[in-house]
Amino acid sequence: MDALDIRNLRKEFLFDGGRFPALKGITLSIPAGMFAVFVGKSGCGKTTLLRLVAGLEEPTEGTVGVRGGGAPLRTGIVFQEPRLFPWLTVEENIAFSYRSMGKRPTEETLSALIESLGLTAFRRAHPSRISGGMAQRASLGRTLLYDPDIILMDEPFSALDYFTRAALRDDLLHLWQERRKTVLFVTHDVDEALCLGQRIHVMDRGEVVRIFDVEDDYPRDIASMSGLKREILDAIGNGTCCGAHHAKEKAAEA
Amino acid sequence: MRRLSFFLPSFLLLLLWQAGSVFGWWNAFLLPSPQAVGETFLTLLLNGTLFRHLQASLGRVLVGTGLAFAAGFPLGVFFGLFPRGCAPFLPILDFFRHTPPLALIPLLILWLGIGEASKIAVIILASFFPVFLNTLGGVAACDRKLIEVGRSFGLSRGAIFRTILLPSIFPHVLTGMRLALGFGFRALIGAELVAAASGLGYMIHDAEMLSRSDAVIVGILAIGILGSLLDALVLKVSSRIAPWAFQEDDVHGRP
Repeated sequence: MDALDIRNLRKEFLFDGGRFPALKGITLSIPAGMFAVFVGKSGCGKTTLLRLVAGLEEPTEGTVGVRGGGAPLRTGIVFQEPRLFPWLTVEENIAFSYRSMGKRPTEETLSALIESLGLTAFRRAHPSRISGGMAQRASLGRTLLYDPDIILMDEPFSALDYFTRAALRDDLLHLWQERRKTVLFVTHDVDEALCLGQRIHVMDRGEVVRIFDVEDDYPRDIASMSGLKREILDAIGNGTCCGAHHAKEKAAEA
Repeated sequence: MRRLSFFLPSFLLLLLWQAGSVFGWWNAFLLPSPQAVGETFLTLLLNGTLFRHLQASLGRVLVGTGLAFAAGFPLGVFFGLFPRGCAPFLPILDFFRHTPPLALIPLLILWLGIGEASKIAVIILASFFPVFLNTLGGVAACDRKLIEVGRSFGLSRGAIFRTILLPSIFPHVLTGMRLALGFGFRALIGAELVAAASGLGYMIHDAEMLSRSDAVIVGILAIGILGSLLDALVLKVSSRIAPWAFQEDDVHGRP
């Protein structure tokens, strides 16, 4: 069963009277429970793809949905920055999707999640008091508690230091293996893609140019995957990127 | 110990005042000695005069800034949410913002009489804009990335307004309220100096008529101390309600 079905998805950003094609007609499907990675250079359209799936942008053309229609897609996104609410504690931030509906998650669920994120000691702290790594864990927890069908992750670890990044990657794999949610993970880091992805989509200038299925078991030894890494790097290519996101920001300024 | 050193400059100023009075650096009529002021203070305190005027001023300030908040806060939010639609009204607001409330006193007295209404109107005119502009600025400064988090969880516009926008503008509104109290208080004293039968401004005016510079100074001190206390109180209460807004802030920092 496919969790996600994307058909001829196109997105153009308008700016300064010009048009910038960020996505040039993408068609792909992702089976339920898969850890799918999208890798490419900055400006290749991977973030735009994620934002379209999240419903934060409207497509110029094409559809995002579940195969056979049915209920609308319930997605949760983890952004590049933690985007925690400074007025809520770590615990309240994680429970935000409940709070906003005037409900509360059960104490058991909440505690277990906070425990699994290693945030128990900081659950009553405000975001300004915790480190970037912990903030990103809390942000991940907030999306997990929302319990979406598909978890979208937009370079969630790229702002963190090497060690924190490695630790969070392991934690994410662990959580994913427990819950088997469909994950769409965007990154510019090929090692990260190799470490996490069951299916790696290489994107370049608004298109998915290659798809690699990776069968290796977790945790993976990246050092032994140099052949695949070479192939992915080749697929990413050396073409220049104009930067869809910059184009969009320009459009917003105009 | 830190508390002591915090009040050291104030104490030194008092000492200077005392020294100047003892050594006759100035005419005691122009600036009476601390003792003379202290005695007058005690007299006015004990016979209830000071308290009566203080109560009158404080009551007006609280009612006036309360009404200014009731008008300025929703309007600020509204203008912030619909900036384009509201833009044509800005010139009118700008006009009143640049008009000192005291300049309107003659008209206010003409329209509202010399009773409480005209005084409260002066306070509203003075304290509306800090509340309005800070609220407006808060809405404009609200982090779109946080709004997007709400959208990504499928929240309705109303829910985003309640759970994200309102808390995020709270520190701005608070700054507005603190400024409003200060502005309102200052404008009120002015109004009371011109036309009133009670209040700290009236007390000063009355003392001036009787050439009692010691009583004038008591009035000034009462105003300054009351203003500082009000500000500290607002800060204290709001840091209880919203501790997160004060973590970076110096407790004695002025907006």
